[in-house]
Amino acid sequence: MRKEFILLSLLCIGFALFAGCTEQQAATDELKIGVMASMTGPASTTGKDIWQSAVLAADEINADGGVYVADLGKKIPIRLIQGDDESTREGGQKAVSRLITQDNVDFLVGGFSSAVVSAHQSIVAEHKVPYIISGASSSAVSRRTDIDTSYMFFHRPNAEDSAEAIMLFIDREMRPALNEKYGFSADRPLRLAIIYQDTSYGTGQRNAVHDHIKNYGLNIDVVAEESFKMSESDFRTSLTSIKAANPDAVYTVTFLNELVPLVQQGRRDVGLDTIFFAIEPNDDPDYYKGVGTYGEYGVLQSRFSPYAAPKETEAAHAAFVQNFDKRWGGFPGMMGVATYEALYVGVQAVENAGTLDKVAVRDALNDLEIPQMIEVMEDGTIVFSDEFRESKFDLYLAQLRWDQDAGETRPVIIYPDSLKETDFVLPDWYKPGQG
Amino acid sequence: MAGGIDVILQVLIWGLYAGCIYILLAIGLNLIFGVMKVVNFAHGELLMLGAYITFTFYALSGFNPYVLLAASVPTLILAGVIIERLCFRPILGTGKLNEIFISIGLIYIIQNAAALIWTDEWRIIHSPYEKITLSIFGVNMPLDYLIIIITTILILIVLYLFLRKTRLGKAMRATSQNRKGAMLMGINVERMDMLSFGIGAGLAGAAGTLWVVSGQVFNPYMGSIPAIKAFAIVIIGGLGSIPGAIIGGLIYGIAENFAIFTLGGAWKDAVSFIILILVLIIRPTGIFGESAE
Amino acid sequence: MKSLLDSPRNRMYAIIACLLMALVLPILFGLNLYILTVLILMVIFIIYASSWNFLTYTGQGSLGHAAFFGLGGYISAMVASASGISPYITMLVGGGAAALVGLFIGVICVRLKEWFLAMVTFGFAIIIQTLMVSQFAGVTGGWDGIAAPRLISSAVPNYLLVEYYSIVLIAALVVLLFWLILRSRIGLAFAAIRENETEARAAGIDPVRYRLFAFVVSAYFSGVAGALEIHHLGYITPEIFSVDISFWPIIYSISGGLGTLAGPIVGTIVITVLWDGLQTLGITYARFIIIGLLLVLIIIFLPKGLISLPDRIRKYLEGRQKTS
Repeated sequence: MRKEFILLSLLCIGFALFAGCTEQQAATDELKIGVMASMTGPASTTGKDIWQSAVLAADEINADGGVYVADLGKKIPIRLIQGDDESTREGGQKAVSRLITQDNVDFLVGGFSSAVVSAHQSIVAEHKVPYIISGASSSAVSRRTDIDTSYMFFHRPNAEDSAEAIMLFIDREMRPALNEKYGFSADRPLRLAIIYQDTSYGTGQRNAVHDHIKNYGLNIDVVAEESFKMSESDFRTSLTSIKAANPDAVYTVTFLNELVPLVQQGRRDVGLDTIFFAIEPNDDPDYYKGVGTYGEYGVLQSRFSPYAAPKETEAAHAAFVQNFDKRWGGFPGMMGVATYEALYVGVQAVENAGTLDKVAVRDALNDLEIPQMIEVMEDGTIVFSDEFRESKFDLYLAQLRWDQDAGETRPVIIYPDSLKETDFVLPDWYKPGQG
Repeated sequence: MAGGIDVILQVLIWGLYAGCIYILLAIGLNLIFGVMKVVNFAHGELLMLGAYITFTFYALSGFNPYVLLAASVPTLILAGVIIERLCFRPILGTGKLNEIFISIGLIYIIQNAAALIWTDEWRIIHSPYEKITLSIFGVNMPLDYLIIIITTILILIVLYLFLRKTRLGKAMRATSQNRKGAMLMGINVERMDMLSFGIGAGLAGAAGTLWVVSGQVFNPYMGSIPAIKAFAIVIIGGLGSIPGAIIGGLIYGIAENFAIFTLGGAWKDAVSFIILILVLIIRPTGIFGESAE
Repeated sequence: MKSLLDSPRNRMYAIIACLLMALVLPILFGLNLYILTVLILMVIFIIYASSWNFLTYTGQGSLGHAAFFGLGGYISAMVASASGISPYITMLVGGGAAALVGLFIGVICVRLKEWFLAMVTFGFAIIIQTLMVSQFAGVTGGWDGIAAPRLISSAVPNYLLVEYYSIVLIAALVVLLFWLILRSRIGLAFAAIRENETEARAAGIDPVRYRLFAFVVSAYFSGVAGALEIHHLGYITPEIFSVDISFWPIIYSISGGLGTLAGPIVGTIVITVLWDGLQTLGITYARFIIIGLLLVLIIIFLPKGLISLPDRIRKYLEGRQKTS
């Protein structure tokens, strides 16, 4: 026991040393921003994207002289501090508390995965640090009532928003096109199958699909519903069930690594010659590369695409993609661009507040209204809603067309009318469902 | 259901193809267990290494990915031998739990070393035959699947001949049946340990190559699920029994797909464990397991 | 000299000193939030790892203790939010639920060999997670999870410090209870079963009963630890059943020393300091590799864990003195 005691005291000294090392000097002439990102663990691809995009934004602002704070009467530079949540709940809580007390950050951005964010929200709420969340998309996170979320702002569409875009498109554009081409009666309901990842993300989307059908009174029948475990790679049995239900289209809720085999197996192995709808995280260069010809004529819901940009933000999109490539090599992803924007949003709020005081910054975020940057926003402005402090995106749909030069498919925007480049096409091999 | 017989036939063929990877993993596990009485929980990480080695050589050389079996299998045999010498031999006989725990250490090391080397993004390569689909008896059969099934059968035949016809193979089987007896007969059992671990790892490497060419995505964490399934198959069939592994694989595949049809894909993993537990309650040594160790 | 170190009185002093250190540590750091967060999670995991380690006294092991950790969290969170009773009481209910399921799993597992036991426990974590997100989604909130009342309201001044002290107290009580069990007749029976099951049986000890008892106790306190964590974090999602959560107590216990009371405590502290220390140095993936290597090295070269290290060093030094 005595030996253990010595060991314990040594450990305590070690503890003291490492805590001492991390203690930061309180420098007032910096704007300290904490970036919550999963730098390790299963979500690290997204985490790196978030961190790299945040660095890009901070570098740009610093190159421009920094952030003007009226209280200090000068421009101060930004210092980014990384909070690695390790893709776990415990890691997230440790990282957030370090950012808040060791590093004394002025505000936080990032925050990916609803499970991870929900486990550190209460600490943020209790310490009243403004937090612009650009990841976690579940409404269960943004609409919590058990804690004070008044310091949390959400710059991402929630599950309901992305399902809304797809469902309205299916009802208003695809259904009439189908009925006309195949001579169906105009009141024939469209037969939709859903296949979703069995996670918070997937079930949220599935529920949203049903809610939209009910609330908008859409003429769509859900004829099949299949779920799969996260990171599944064999979808053949589920797809066979779906094929047996004779759908006109398949709504998929997946991540990139699932969508590639799903579409390949659906088109090649099961012979499901239909239109696959996919949601925004899949709009990534690796999807186009991975899915090959089988991706042709599939429809992607998106807000930031590597290969397509709505006319109104084309220049900003191109500049961002180019700068990102120059700084880091490769393409930024959707979570990255949202974090990049979130950083600018936070900086603007600090400038508007004219102080680093957290209450003032929070109030400034509440009143904030700035023009859209890269992602297209509703009414062209980034503004947080009164009730849950969520910004509202103008989401679009793109259809994949074969590009001979690239040897891959490329997206063209087909919806909504305000952003579209061309019309939706039903390919020759397409087979409508029966029944 | 639309289709009837040919749909069932079709599902069977997919099962056969998916089964190839599990069979290679399960037989490797069984071989190691037979000789050393050790369960390598980190077997899936060897599958993952096989996949990345194929991927790397493919990116470097542009060879037909099937040819790269010649790269992944020897590399993995070497890796297996090293792992056996460094990690499992020192703890042999110190308790079964230690073997399980050392595998956990290995899982952390191999996964994260792979993430450091290759990053943890999902990867995919395209087989040159990706677009060719044959129609056999009215059933669709992508050429790649056919090649994978044939390759697996060939590997199994070679393994069978090795175990039955060569002196080394016979010595291995003798060690597996009676370690002490084999030692008395002058068989170097430590060399047999090394060999069985090497072959087991090599089979996992082959599975890795087949995984990659079939157009499956992979990342450093991809190995754990197939390995756990392979291990469950081995348990259902009975540790150390090769026909058991095949029967176990069939039961497993049917149960999984039945679960997807009736309860939904979310139940896939849970149902296979329920089957495993039921089998163990009824027959604690597995269907084909020997009643002793 | 050796007898002096091992006398019960000195041992008592050492334990008191350790406890005192645990009590003053956060104050030394000026009630720093980060240190407190790390300490709270660490002490919760000390309870969890100690409970896991309790199984190994009977020669059993589990790869799926997240099932109990998570169940304790879910049941306690649901009871606390429905009834408004303090989490300090509902965590006992959570532990009870975990123990009940533990009894069920134990009945299946006690007769199984190590590898089978490992697989079955691993599988149970998955089965329970699946049940929680499908059949019971109505009460568990499915994948979205549910909010859990905090252990101590943030309105209380220094609430985190109070929380920390209460968790330290619970940890001390749990370890004390384990100590009492192990020094009683039950502990002797455990040792007999672990060393030689056939002889134990011949001596009239029923291994199944004792193994089952160990399983239930282990599940109960894992559930309590899970409830503590959930009420500390304030939210529970099904990710609590993940493989990491099953593996951490194993890593902590092995590195500290299996089958000893101090092992999981020392292991949890060392690994936590190492883990978070390496992170402050900016080491990411390599951290897992370091932990993995440490685990392998300890299993091979230090089978009794880190707590046997001072002994080993002393023996080595003595050996050298003799030869010189």
